[in-house]
Amino acid sequence: MHEMSLALEIRSICERELAKLPEERITALGVDVGAFSGVEVDTLQFCLEVLMSERFGGVRCEVVREPGAATCVSCGLEFKVERAPFECPECGMFARGVSGGQGMQLSYLEVE
Amino acid sequence: MSAERVSVKEKVLSANDRLAAENRERLAGQGIFSVNLISSPGSGKTTLLERTVDLLKGSLRLAVVAGDVQTHNDAERLLRHDIPVEAIETGGGCHLDARQVAKSLDALDVVNTDLLFIENVGNLVCPSSFDLGETLKVVLMSVTEGEDKPLKYPSAFRRARALVLTKVDLVPHLQFSVEEALDNARSINPDLEVFSTSCFTGDGLNVWAGWLADRVATARESAEGARS
Repeated sequence: MHEMSLALEIRSICERELAKLPEERITALGVDVGAFSGVEVDTLQFCLEVLMSERFGGVRCEVVREPGAATCVSCGLEFKVERAPFECPECGMFARGVSGGQGMQLSYLEVE
Repeated sequence: MSAERVSVKEKVLSANDRLAAENRERLAGQGIFSVNLISSPGSGKTTLLERTVDLLKGSLRLAVVAGDVQTHNDAERLLRHDIPVEAIETGGGCHLDARQVAKSLDALDVVNTDLLFIENVGNLVCPSSFDLGETLKVVLMSVTEGEDKPLKYPSAFRRARALVLTKVDLVPHLQFSVEEALDNARSINPDLEVFSTSCFTGDGLNVWAGWLADRVATARESAEGARS
């Protein structure tokens, strides 16, 4: 949906990091995308590959989906969740809220 | 030459998130409670707002930012209720964004406002991902939309603080199960406040408006408590 503008943002962060490493060339990057961030992993991957190759040539883009964590309202079990509804694997009740899985971060660059 | 991994761990915030944070700070600084209304097209956002405005304008200073893809129809309806309204016509955009809301805040006299409503573009997908800087989101669904709506559009229901079920006067003419719809909504978000309303009969509107007024008052007390 707005993956292209996010990919542009990621590229800007890469440029800032690379400015600190003037002798180096970027070869790969890793992005963690929360399962509930509303961002499509495949679309972001595609946009990143387009934008990064445009600026830097071949760069391997690894976009990883991070699950959130939910707590069951009934038995208190904490479990990882990727999509709604959040049914507790232990007792089948529903989980209250999700912690994590909402954001996105540029995790690493690889340079040589 | 071998590749070296450099750890970055920097959060990626879109430009929209930054602007939304600015809006949030600005609204909080002025003591304004803001509500972002999200729903499919035709769920009854504007009609609900019209009734809500009439119920609350005697006791709270209200303002509205009303978004539509084309026309200012919603804004014009709300202007008839003698409150400040700012219209946003997105052109083709399927959701309001923080930049548009920031511009509207510039145009409105937000200093003298207690409660700001932001009527988003009719869309259950994109608006839930675009923070506007609001205090809370309210999702609407009407009884003609199908009980599984919350399961189909979980993001909108999960990020909302309240659900307003609209047009409940039509239930006798439909195969719709209110209980199933609310169960589905609570399976996505167990903490959702739920209001069953009919703008046609007036059912449930006082409870809904009363809840809003309580939220505004509570927020004000917290802010005053924090300052003292």
